[in-house]
Amino acid sequence: MPFPWLSASILFPIGAALLIPFVPDKGDGKQVRWFALGVALVTFLITVGGYLNGYDPAVEGLQLAQHIDWLPQLGLAWSVGADGISMPLILLTSFITALAALAAWPVTFKPKLFYFLLLAMDGGQIAVFAVQDLLLFFLAWELELIPVYLLLAIWGGKKRQYAATKFILYTAGSSLFILLAGLAMAFYGGGTPTFEYTALMAKDFSAQFQLLCYAGLLIAFGVKLPIVPLHTWLPDAHGEATAPVHMLLAGILLKMGGYALLRFNVQLLPDAHAQFAPLLVVLGVVNIIYAALTSFAQRNLKRKIAYSSISHMGFVLIGIGSFSALGTSGAMLQMISHGLIGASLFFLVGATYDRTHTLQLDEMGGVGQKMRKMFALWTVCSLASLALPGMSGFVSELMVFVGFVTSEAYTLSFRVVMAVLAAVGVILTPIYLLSMLREIFFGKENAELASHSNLVDAEPREIYVISCLLVPIIGIGLYPRIMTDSYRASIEALVRRETRAMALVNPTPAAGLIRQASLQAPALTG
Amino acid sequence: MPSAAELAWLIPVLPLAGACLVGLGLISFNRTVNRLRKPVALLLISCVGAAAVLSYAVLAEQLAGAGATEVLFNWASAGTFNLQMGFRVDALAAVMLALVTTIAVLVMVYSDGYMAHDKGYVRFFTYLALFSSSMLGLVISPNLLEIYVFWELVGMCSYLLVGFWYDRDGAANAAQKAFVVNRVGDFGLLLGILGLFWATGSFGFEEIGTRLQEAVAGGGLSSGVAVLLCLLVFMGPMAKSAQFPLHVWLPDAMEGPTPISALIHAATMVAAGVFLVARLQPVYEPFAAVQLTIAVVGTITLFLGASIALTQQDLKKGLAYSTVSQLGYMMLAMGCGAPVAGMFHLVTHAFFKAMLFLGSGSVIHAMEEVVGHEPVLAQDMRLMGGLRKFMPVTSTTFLIGCVAIAGIPPLAGFWSKDEILGQAFNSFPLLWGMGFITAGMTAFYMFRLYFLTFEGEFRGNDKAMAAQLLAAAGKGTEEHEEHGHHAEHPHESGWQMAMPLAVLAVPSALVGLLGTPWNSRFAGLLDPEEAAEMAEHFSWGEFLPLAGLSVAVSVAGITVAVLAYALRRLDLATAVAGRFPAVNAFLANKWYLDAINDKLFVQGSRKLARSVLEVDSKVVDGVVNLTGLMTLGSGEGLKYFETGRAQFYALIVFGGVIALVVLFGSLG
Repeated sequence: MPFPWLSASILFPIGAALLIPFVPDKGDGKQVRWFALGVALVTFLITVGGYLNGYDPAVEGLQLAQHIDWLPQLGLAWSVGADGISMPLILLTSFITALAALAAWPVTFKPKLFYFLLLAMDGGQIAVFAVQDLLLFFLAWELELIPVYLLLAIWGGKKRQYAATKFILYTAGSSLFILLAGLAMAFYGGGTPTFEYTALMAKDFSAQFQLLCYAGLLIAFGVKLPIVPLHTWLPDAHGEATAPVHMLLAGILLKMGGYALLRFNVQLLPDAHAQFAPLLVVLGVVNIIYAALTSFAQRNLKRKIAYSSISHMGFVLIGIGSFSALGTSGAMLQMISHGLIGASLFFLVGATYDRTHTLQLDEMGGVGQKMRKMFALWTVCSLASLALPGMSGFVSELMVFVGFVTSEAYTLSFRVVMAVLAAVGVILTPIYLLSMLREIFFGKENAELASHSNLVDAEPREIYVISCLLVPIIGIGLYPRIMTDSYRASIEALVRRETRAMALVNPTPAAGLIRQASLQAPALTG
Repeated sequence: MPSAAELAWLIPVLPLAGACLVGLGLISFNRTVNRLRKPVALLLISCVGAAAVLSYAVLAEQLAGAGATEVLFNWASAGTFNLQMGFRVDALAAVMLALVTTIAVLVMVYSDGYMAHDKGYVRFFTYLALFSSSMLGLVISPNLLEIYVFWELVGMCSYLLVGFWYDRDGAANAAQKAFVVNRVGDFGLLLGILGLFWATGSFGFEEIGTRLQEAVAGGGLSSGVAVLLCLLVFMGPMAKSAQFPLHVWLPDAMEGPTPISALIHAATMVAAGVFLVARLQPVYEPFAAVQLTIAVVGTITLFLGASIALTQQDLKKGLAYSTVSQLGYMMLAMGCGAPVAGMFHLVTHAFFKAMLFLGSGSVIHAMEEVVGHEPVLAQDMRLMGGLRKFMPVTSTTFLIGCVAIAGIPPLAGFWSKDEILGQAFNSFPLLWGMGFITAGMTAFYMFRLYFLTFEGEFRGNDKAMAAQLLAAAGKGTEEHEEHGHHAEHPHESGWQMAMPLAVLAVPSALVGLLGTPWNSRFAGLLDPEEAAEMAEHFSWGEFLPLAGLSVAVSVAGITVAVLAYALRRLDLATAVAGRFPAVNAFLANKWYLDAINDKLFVQGSRKLARSVLEVDSKVVDGVVNLTGLMTLGSGEGLKYFETGRAQFYALIVFGGVIALVVLFGSLG
């Protein structure tokens, strides 16, 4: 039997987390943080090992698979595996978590519990991406909420209780839809219930059933991604989280929504996707513009960046709804890219807050004169976020744009309107990001701020964390195929599946406004 | 042995490597690297210098008749879609390569003197190298998409360099304005590129051109759409090359250090828009409406820039508006379907305007000795005057630049501007008229700058005027006093600054002779057919009247400037400004465009954003919180269902699922 890379990457951090109470530590976290960092690094290496040894990018199907019956009576099995949709996100998870462990260096309040939760989250999040069983997925999805809730509620800012409760209610409430839809799909058609993705894919769901399940799942994952107007938990949760938690929230948690949309809504319910896709595109455009405007008006730095995350997730939605390999590939890349860029920005927010002790832009200003390296790091990461060429965000947004515009699935007028509106984001993003930089770093030094806070420049650890994130950001920006080739086959298979489904779905009157039969035919047969 | 063209990829990569090395050093060993001023400068100058040598080799190959070289690799792919990147060297690229590297090296040498006392010296050189790299990448881009990549990168460098003195509020605002206005242009450029790709399935210039024409001819695409796409793409050059109404960022960008104004905001980056339009000639040429739009935009710009330059009191701002105006001339040439003429003016203008800006930097540097490091004072011509006595090299080269830009033969500006006017005369006589009048205005405002700066009495010690200027800028005199004054009168700059001025004076005077209409070597390189045609159709009878007219109008402009500012025979303040106060106010307020933009777009977008946020927190989140409250209430009622028995809950869930399945079983 080959080495169970994925099971190991899930169970190792959780198992190691259980050992944390026994790690000798004086209570200030100075020993336990090394332990946690070590575990996170080993987990990262395990995932890399799995990628290098058991994963072939050219294969579109499931790899590194492992299947052990767990509770056969319930149809529950320990089933893990990875394809192109999950493998990059698994790597992203273990990578960001290792950096978050390094980012958590200054945590001194209840360090053992903190690192326990961090490592538990690591395993839980990898499990979300790796499991191949819907029931298991639901368990992992729910289990991962608990560490996040506690990390928010114990280590958060002033309004942490409100934020944590809001987060848990939102997510738990929405995951009810996952459970219902999942159970319904498992029991559909009679016979023994099955939760395996592959078995569910083989099932022939009726059109209405698909639509209902799709709608439910869209709500559940739309909360996570988030899709406007289901987003209001995010600014609160992000606004109150500490930097390392913040990195995980933005870097990984949001991607669970995008991943699940691809995995379930597109892969399992392609007929419904053919009907819902235009809605996804519209929602994506709303996300981009709406969140960019709210971000511009925000005066609180953390909430500003939080809204910018929502704005960037809009491109994921457009890509998923684009019915083109290029666009879907771009959506995937946008998730990875935003995972890296979002994590770096949130880390910088935390590092800046440690020094200024305020997040209000009005109370900052001229900070750049004392913190020059910090200024440089902020500038690079902001430029990455506004999709400057040479960095990953540009490539992913460009792929979504080109993929969507050349997609034959939509009428020309729909594409034109949506592309123009999405491109407005190209103007809005630099406005809010550069205004932010100007207000924090440029201009005369804010005398009041300088008098009562110690504005030391970035320390080597902080520079190291950002450099680790910038290497893949710039690497992908210079040569995107290092990333896109790793999932290309799976995405192409997925797009073939959804386009096949769309060809079969008769355009309903409602969709007929958006889709033109004459444009549809040549593209889909080819 | 590979040819120079095959090694052309090294040209942008060399400065990039140097910039990356120093940048990494700055972030990891800040203090040490900051102390290594001369070694860093030497390293980066040699990187750009090596790129320059390679560029000359490429140019020499092109002069010897080598064809275009294109090297591509697969950059991104998904499905059936493959995106190629690489580089392309042809005559146009070779000219630009040689031009950009030459000016970049000279500006870097100059910066060694200009920035000698600045604590950001090393950072400045790093940005310069980074900019050179991006700009050189832009000129050898083989397709629209790669152009867009470097287009954004030069924009970023411009942002970093305009905001170089980040403790100044003016610089901070100008940097952001530059980036955002350019993004407005890029919005159109991006959509245009996407649209052209949708229409033609290609990003290559020639391919787009032929396929677009075929599509329109074949009826697959209405010509209106094609024109629209072309104009969308044109929005990019409009912003980058400061064409009306997206020119507003360029004068503000003068907040950056003066070497930057010379390199980026006069000679190279702002010309990138003109360069792109030249590249896109195969696409634009078949559409008369596009050409006409470009020509009209160019004409409005050239007139607007010159008219605002008439009243500027800030030396650099005056030159900036002059740049806007000259870029308008280049665009006019493009619109007349004469890309060679436009490119020729781009080259001549790059030399003399870079020299003029470097000269103004030399003046400002000298003025700072007297009035202190306050741009409001050091750049204002009301405090200058009489500098010729103190700064012979600067004043001589500045005068050469003024004669060149005014269009007096045989200096460079005459040949290139005259060629544009000649083309305009044949294509759009009305626009020619505007360009002709503006040529006179150009001569006037340039000599006005020269006389106010270099002739007359030195006014730098006029304390009352200094205080008045500070008050007008909203700055207190006391915070300025602490800088202390060093000298009673300014001094000529050191060799690092004087040498580039002297070197640039040579091409400013002579490069025009390469483009004489009867034997244009420049056209012969870029477009041999057109050169032959030009030489064939050339007749003195046609050339002399037009050329004589434009020289006459320039001389007239110079005469007015001499009368008003050198001989003081003419008091323009009362004779013109006093009689037409509305016109004067209109020009002094820069056609009120900044005010309109501020009211309409800046305030408007802020207001919109604030109201969206209001909706978000009050309405969307309000509903959420209300639901939360209602759940608390309904929980009170529901708690009687809470029996605590697990079987009961399981039953409810199970029942629900069964109901769903039955429901769909019957429906499906």
